[in-house]
Amino acid sequence: MNHKGDFLSLLKHADTMQGQHEMDVASSELDRNASPKIFPVTKKPLQGKATHGTMVEIPEATTVVAMRYSNGIIIAGDRRATAGTSVVHDRAEKVLPIDTYSVLAISGAPAMAYEIARVLKHSFQYFRRSQLQELSVEGKLRTLSRLIRENLPMAMQGIGAVIPIFALYTPQTDESEHGGKIYFYDALGAHFENVDFATTGSGSIWIRGVLRYLDRWGESRLEDMDQQQATITILRLLDTASEYDAATSGYNAKAEIFPTIKTITQQGVQTLPEDFLKDCYAEAT
Amino acid sequence: MRDLPYRWIEAIQDRRDYIEDQLRLGSPVVGLPYEQGSLLLTVTKGAQKIFEVHDRIALSAIGHPADIERLRMLVTDTASVQAFQSATEDVNLHRLTHYVLAHTFKQAFEAIVGEAYIIKMLLVEIGNGDENTQFTHINYDGNVKVDHDSAVIGGTLEIENAMQEYLDAAQGETNGDIASALQLALKTWAVGRELSQRSEDAEDNTEVTDEEIEEIIQTELEDGEIEVGILDASLPSDTKFRILTQDEIQAARDTN
Repeated sequence: MNHKGDFLSLLKHADTMQGQHEMDVASSELDRNASPKIFPVTKKPLQGKATHGTMVEIPEATTVVAMRYSNGIIIAGDRRATAGTSVVHDRAEKVLPIDTYSVLAISGAPAMAYEIARVLKHSFQYFRRSQLQELSVEGKLRTLSRLIRENLPMAMQGIGAVIPIFALYTPQTDESEHGGKIYFYDALGAHFENVDFATTGSGSIWIRGVLRYLDRWGESRLEDMDQQQATITILRLLDTASEYDAATSGYNAKAEIFPTIKTITQQGVQTLPEDFLKDCYAEAT
Repeated sequence: MRDLPYRWIEAIQDRRDYIEDQLRLGSPVVGLPYEQGSLLLTVTKGAQKIFEVHDRIALSAIGHPADIERLRMLVTDTASVQAFQSATEDVNLHRLTHYVLAHTFKQAFEAIVGEAYIIKMLLVEIGNGDENTQFTHINYDGNVKVDHDSAVIGGTLEIENAMQEYLDAAQGETNGDIASALQLALKTWAVGRELSQRSEDAEDNTEVTDEEIEEIIQTELEDGEIEVGILDASLPSDTKFRILTQDEIQAARDTN
């Protein structure tokens, strides 16, 4: 069976794969019954948390933020994972590299978010390996849309919504165009166009306006900042978010826990080392 | 036909002759290790012949393009599913060859009423840490040969033996960098190419001189292109596979 590079289709038929060339006919029979979902789907009517006026209540306790800077994209997340008012984990990774030039920053239910990131990573690899070419930017965006949409039943029940930021760098761009691209999503899987900056999570409401202010009236536009300026800005933004949002952690000096900050540039995805962040903190505060 | 053992053996032999006849002119492939990894080299006339199977596994083959494509997809699909359902570390060449490929090859070959695969496959895996590099050669009848130093595939067994002999004699002289490994692989390829073009009665003569090697490389490159796929352990990404660009190949050939 030829999946034409579609990893989800491959997974769906994984049980019938060995010796599949004789079984193409049989598997078309299976097609009709097989569930195209990789996530558990509820058959029960939706109930519970959905309330009048707000269709979906979204637990998205975190702050992740991405912005363009002179070399590409800088993308960061705090490290706190919460359940209700409890802090579950203080070293959570919310900024996940997907391939050489793309990163997914997640807010929402970790179980679903990590699974989406994993499926995404394998999907891109499978497309390249089977079709002998990289998946296009549009193809990558659609794959992510599809995964978020398939997760909708969980989101509707108020337990598994995932709202990510997807950032990537297109290395072949000419000088005049910025290679860094940032896309943000809603819980239904709609992706919004390439933007200069994006932030999501419960802490994002406190810093979204700040980003806009800095970009418009700051000393230099976000896009013109060098790596150090951009890092300092990001650290200050996360600090601001943590001041007002209990689910976002600031810099924990005692335990030396830093936010995760990655850059995506011509050289690919890189994680900024803790020493560099320490220096930037000294400068920032 | 199975109730007549003699006819079955005869049919299998016919099939063997037919497949070997088809494979005879295939462009050989050479697999060699170098300092940071391993390379596969061949010369092609357009179609890609060296492929990425998984993070640390690459594949090349000679034979019918449709068969190569079908079996390449089988092994790529299996590796992708296993890596997802379990973990990338659980995908290894030994399992892919012994539990997926070898029996598929054998089954198709011996089912004499069905179509046979016209193919010989060479796979390479670079190890994690201390583990060895492994070259795996799978014949159209499902026979598997594993080697840790080098491997070749060519149209016939005689061609392969002559190539391997040339390789073994010269391998000690390389200094382990990618340029010298590439140069040696190209010469070994030329040995196989030269022999596949000799007429069948000259088959016993497997001597190939340096002049003949130079000459055949020159003529073949007039309408062909060198293709080199590497598995480089020093690459920062999870995926260690990369196809070398023509500029990189030229630079390696020009290195002394």
